[in-house]
Amino acid sequence: MLIDKMINGGASPVLEQVLKFTEARQSMIADNIANKDTPGYRAKDLSVEKFQTMLRNHVEQANNGSPGSVNFDDIKSELEHPNNGILFHDGNNVSMEQLMSDNAKNVLLHNMIVELLKKQYQTMEMSLKDHAG
Amino acid sequence: MFDILDTGASGLAAQRTRLDTIAANIANINTTHGPNGEKSPFRRRMVMFAAGHPNNASKPGVHVQKIMQDPSPFIRKFDPGNPDAGTDGYVNMPNIDMSIEYVNALEASRAYEANVTMMETTKAMLNSTLRLIA
Repeated sequence: MLIDKMINGGASPVLEQVLKFTEARQSMIADNIANKDTPGYRAKDLSVEKFQTMLRNHVEQANNGSPGSVNFDDIKSELEHPNNGILFHDGNNVSMEQLMSDNAKNVLLHNMIVELLKKQYQTMEMSLKDHAG
Repeated sequence: MFDILDTGASGLAAQRTRLDTIAANIANINTTHGPNGEKSPFRRRMVMFAAGHPNNASKPGVHVQKIMQDPSPFIRKFDPGNPDAGTDGYVNMPNIDMSIEYVNALEASRAYEANVTMMETTKAMLNSTLRLIA
């Protein structure tokens, strides 16, 4: 069906996965900031590299197959405990500066993807209107 | 999806509790009697944080585990005229150091701000997602 190809083909499923990822990562960042003063708390993060590698593999598979043949929903991201911050005397290794920059980057990426997705939907809407008229 | 805001809110509540405790410490810096008039100097209170949302510890967030009393010795002040003074003329004063309380208060309010910033950016993010529908 045309509508199936429009929704499952192209960049939309990829963009959706990135949105899911940024949302999950935002939750980790929020948890880290809330636990900035919790003794023994270890910072958590989702691995951006691993997510991107997995996404790239899926995109390559989708490019070789027919539209909609590759399911993007099985993309998972791994939880990791970054060890690059200072370990404080209370056993906490949350780095506020790192978190703030991660937060900003994550939100910017999210908003960019939302804009792209919006454009996709607009294009879809336009072609649908064309068919109707 | 909106749970991220709960995480920020738990951080706000925890830091506010910490500020409340610090305020109580500073208010009681000269208190030498308990609530029922018994002679016992005020002990400094400390807030212990633990990971996990206050309503559900498995969800992300932070909660106040307990409010502890600082076991360090009382400050001894020589004041023979004071009715609370012992036979040697020394009065036991609360074990509160004003500078430590100030530093902790500043840190708590900065951490509070960090959580607010976090919630603001998350809100902007959720807003942009919601605009996808409209």
